[in-house]
Amino acid sequence: MDTSSAIQEPFDLIRLSLSERVFVKLRGDRELSGILHAYDGHMNLILSDVEETILIVDQADGAGEGQPTVNMAKRKMDMLFVRGDGVILVSPPSR
Amino acid sequence: MASQILPLELIDRCIGSRIWVIMKGDREFTGTLLGFDDFVNMVLEDVTEFETTPQGRKKTQLNQTLLNGNNICMLIPGSNGPDS
Amino acid sequence: MDESTPPPPPAELSPPPVPSTVPSGSPTDFLKGVVGKRVVVRLTSGVDYRGVLSCLDGYMNIALEQTEEHVNGVVTNRYGDAFIRGNNVLYISAAEAI
Repeated sequence: MDTSSAIQEPFDLIRLSLSERVFVKLRGDRELSGILHAYDGHMNLILSDVEETILIVDQADGAGEGQPTVNMAKRKMDMLFVRGDGVILVSPPSR
Repeated sequence: MASQILPLELIDRCIGSRIWVIMKGDREFTGTLLGFDDFVNMVLEDVTEFETTPQGRKKTQLNQTLLNGNNICMLIPGSNGPDS
Repeated sequence: MDESTPPPPPAELSPPPVPSTVPSGSPTDFLKGVVGKRVVVRLTSGVDYRGVLSCLDGYMNIALEQTEEHVNGVVTNRYGDAFIRGNNVLYISAAEAI
């Protein structure tokens, strides 16, 4: 449980998540969950067995205060390369 | 001939004083400048964040804060910000 | 957003300036002071991550523990550990006295 001792730099967190299922938040309201196979210093990622969730927020017509309708689209990919510049956050499975 | 004083020298003279930071977007900060680096990442103390939204201006008080220099647009030395 | 640059990640933060004898309040000194403390990391999108700062690097990539994601003041997610890519960071603020 004491992961902190093993982590000297942020990338250690990613290194310790190799072969594990990670949650990835991307720009454009996209989220991924997949098995992490590889990463580099740009945070380019290779994930397998991926489920992508896209949040599509439709602001009810006009820029009013009305509740925006949020649609969630999901799809699955077997193997995926993620370009690092889109990555906001990576979270390993909770230990 | 090069200018007599570099822009960042001016900011260096503001260390310890209040400063108003205007970001590229709809965001502003005021605080006491504790330090900065070559990228103009800034350490501020007793910070107020001002966020201009369609619903009005939102203020947030913050403790000591490291502000990423990436999104900084302008610096106004000696000013206590939009409210002053 | 503002930064759709190709592969090379954002320019590295300045290397720790040659340490003078007295702590100068520089970004490096601030970061030394907040590691292990509770912080608020706000992204340029306005989303906040509150947690314990485990470490960070020269790109402002951040590892947080006991992380809560706040959107408009509402907790929207919790993560045991979170890696935040530095280019998204607007600021890191101490959530407790340092």
